[in-house]
Amino acid sequence: MGDDLTIWARILTFARWETKKSLLVPGKKILPHALLLLILLGGATLISAESGLHFQDAMYSAGTDDPVLAGIVAEDNRFRVVVLDRTVLTRYQASFDLVIINGQVVPAETDRGAAATEALIQVYDRYRNAVYSQEEDIFAAYPLLVETATVKSELDFSAPGSGSQVTSPVRFRGPPLPSGPVPSIAPPDPAPAISPDEFRAGMIQSSGTDEILNRYSGYLGRSGASASPYQTPSQLSPPLPFDAIILIFVFIFPLYFISQFLMMSVMNERTDRQGEPLLSAPVKPWVVIAGKSLPYTGAMLAVSLLICLVAGATPLIVLPLIPVILFFLASGLIIGMTARSFRELSFISLFFSTVITCYLFFPSIFADVHVMSLVSPVTLMIYTLEQQPYTLSQFLFSTSLFSITSIVLLYAAVVNFREERLFSTKGLVSTGVDFISSMLHPGHPWLSLFLLGMLAVPFVFMAQMLLLVLVFNLPLPLSLILILVAAAVVEEIAKSVGIYTFSTRFPGFLTWKNVLAGAVVTALAFLFAEKLLLLVTISQIAESVFGTVLYSSLTLLWVPFLIHLAGILITGTALRLGGRAGYLPGLCLATLVHCAANIWILRGWFW
Amino acid sequence: MKKDLSALSQEKTIILAILLQLFVAMFSSFLLVGLTSLYDPSLVGDYSGMQYRIAYAGEDIPLRFLLDSQENIRVYPMDLSAAIASLKERKVAAVVYVPPSNPDGPDPVTITLYTVQNDIQSAVINVKLKEALIEYEEELREIRSGRLTMTPVSLEFPEEEDGAPGFYEFVYGLLLPLLLFMPAVVSAALIIDLITEEYEHRTYETLLSAPVSMGEVVWGKILACFVLVPLQAGAWILLLMLNGIPVARLPLVMGYVLVSSLVLILIGALTGLHYRERTGAQVIFSLSVVVLMLVVLAIPGNPLNQVAVLASGGTVPGQGMILLLGAAAAILLSLAVTRSAGAAAG
Repeated sequence: MGDDLTIWARILTFARWETKKSLLVPGKKILPHALLLLILLGGATLISAESGLHFQDAMYSAGTDDPVLAGIVAEDNRFRVVVLDRTVLTRYQASFDLVIINGQVVPAETDRGAAATEALIQVYDRYRNAVYSQEEDIFAAYPLLVETATVKSELDFSAPGSGSQVTSPVRFRGPPLPSGPVPSIAPPDPAPAISPDEFRAGMIQSSGTDEILNRYSGYLGRSGASASPYQTPSQLSPPLPFDAIILIFVFIFPLYFISQFLMMSVMNERTDRQGEPLLSAPVKPWVVIAGKSLPYTGAMLAVSLLICLVAGATPLIVLPLIPVILFFLASGLIIGMTARSFRELSFISLFFSTVITCYLFFPSIFADVHVMSLVSPVTLMIYTLEQQPYTLSQFLFSTSLFSITSIVLLYAAVVNFREERLFSTKGLVSTGVDFISSMLHPGHPWLSLFLLGMLAVPFVFMAQMLLLVLVFNLPLPLSLILILVAAAVVEEIAKSVGIYTFSTRFPGFLTWKNVLAGAVVTALAFLFAEKLLLLVTISQIAESVFGTVLYSSLTLLWVPFLIHLAGILITGTALRLGGRAGYLPGLCLATLVHCAANIWILRGWFW
Repeated sequence: MKKDLSALSQEKTIILAILLQLFVAMFSSFLLVGLTSLYDPSLVGDYSGMQYRIAYAGEDIPLRFLLDSQENIRVYPMDLSAAIASLKERKVAAVVYVPPSNPDGPDPVTITLYTVQNDIQSAVINVKLKEALIEYEEELREIRSGRLTMTPVSLEFPEEEDGAPGFYEFVYGLLLPLLLFMPAVVSAALIIDLITEEYEHRTYETLLSAPVSMGEVVWGKILACFVLVPLQAGAWILLLMLNGIPVARLPLVMGYVLVSSLVLILIGALTGLHYRERTGAQVIFSLSVVVLMLVVLAIPGNPLNQVAVLASGGTVPGQGMILLLGAAAAILLSLAVTRSAGAAAG
């Protein structure tokens, strides 16, 4: 029974049970309706592909005296166009967002008016392109072509938000001559490497793909480099930041959806107590968990690969997704094990999905713009699509937090997969503390605290990364203050988890001696784990001012140790004195001290 | 029914649910700030008063003068190698290289634009340079105009300061309708949870023996979910306004949101009553919502479109009709729910 083969066989057996019980049997009940809906879905997709998505129809009203222009403007369904006599138009000008009289655009002096003008510029550009791309002498119509090239700069991440500027600072007047060595650069080849016909085809194509839907549907299947290295000046624009959202919709939402089934299956076993035979089976919990998760893992991988296949994208794109899949599985398992009711399940998973979607999506907006974007694995997916190689350290940087936190969560699930946890009806916080207490061993309190402290660090990093992403775009003093306080709160909570659990679950443990010893052990664990994790990942952002706020702890050893120690000592003392009621005030005080210490470390940046 | 509602509101989980939802809303508002600034990088910092230093290498053509006359741009003629080295040190924001060219030749004039990779400013500088490049394109087109056969209808635009292109449309035409209709979907999912829970936890047997009818219980739950909608939608509107995005025609917009959320909640209730089991009901419900959304969005003048237009201060024809249609659908669905609940009890 102990050898590998039977364990695999057992896992497979559990996987088969799970598939049958949770997917096939209930699936049969809803199958007819689901099939009908799927057919309807196909029809609805066809309809919407045919007629487009009408979000912004008739947003703007335009009046013109020229029927030809009216025809051009009306091409775009954002506009409602009226042809009127010139004198009438002038009189009722105020009731339009813009009027075109005598070929002159006059917008209303409102935000809508300005937006309508922007939209009209797009419409007009499209129209002119349509005319010009039919010219016999195409290079007379498009006489100027721009080739864009990028240069790697050495200063990469030290520029958060509006940090280091390439604009002229006051102290710096003369011509901007380089201070370093000047390697000789050959001028690019002057002859246009593109034939007129090729160029025309590109122009016609690009004027057709202006529709948002087209752009998104073409996004996944696109072939790396574009056909022409040249752009006309009007094509020169920063990459639209929301293209990456299609990746979220296509790849992440199915994962979320499938993880819902896992949550439900775990939850159902608890509510119906169907899980009892599973628990009494003579197998280790991890075998049961592995078996239960296997069908869902398979489904997630299969769906992702299927999407690649359908969209014509390379399967390599799934590689950065694997840690994310793991994370969805682990958190689905934990949520299913802790939620007491469907409402709780819904809301926790909703909240969780909001957070994780933000974490994945927001940095990726900057995929081609800023190194910060590497926080999200979705950025690596974008790189894969763009056929831009990424290094192993970049891969580790964006995925290791997902992998490590998933493993910790899975470990917590395995340790807690037993009757008194699964069938308890305690509140969320209390269940959470119960879960953590299973990971603590009262016989080896110091070792437990040390390990728990270390395991908490990846979560702290992840939360801080999210915070960093959130505040990154706020104006500088505000963002710095926010991150300072928020980071301290997160860290103090994480540090106090161990001591709090001990004090509530093992009463009598919290003697003064133990408070001190526990604080020292936790502080050491944090220091050690931070160092370890930073070696792998965060070095890229550790140099910016944000990095200093978050990870100031890295330059010196004793300073961060003292800060960690002070925080946890304060919380511990508060717990010792006031019991559970003392926790919150203690936490606040610890946060204050932590912030003060960080400001002291940061003084070099301020004055 | 009132009793049921108050009993529900006393239940801790509902309060927890509302709190959680508020937290999600707060969190998202935080994101909204980020979103609005992300959409247009030039909004992030105040770039308007900044001077960008551009290195210019190669032939001296009128483009150089056009670049120099742009406000915010200062042009420094440099040798290409030195210019690129300066760019690497971030002493200039971009390098424009112009090879020898013939303004009226058969080939296009090609120039090369170097910017820093992975830099948010490269995106901003592109926009700045674009204006000068378009002007030069027009000049060249004028020179070559003898070779053109068609002239597009000309249109003069007013001088604009840099707007945020697409931002207005994104906020009113996409973000706002989605945010306002999201509470409806959330509440509809919630009603499924509330109803199926009674069956799966076998608490409905107790409920049946209580002196309330099944219909009353279900309607109490529906009401509780429905009350959440104006709370959440109101919170969104408040948050949008705090972010400097005014929402016009509030009563009408709210009317749309309430009617459509009632329809969705009733559909959810029916699904829950029919399947009595959460996973199945949620799967069917989400599929139905996706189908419904796709079909509705494919119709010009759909409620989301109308809300977008109304909220931005415009008018839509036939606004009353849609509301009436929605209300009629809600009444029909209500009857179905009452019948279905009665059948469940019997």
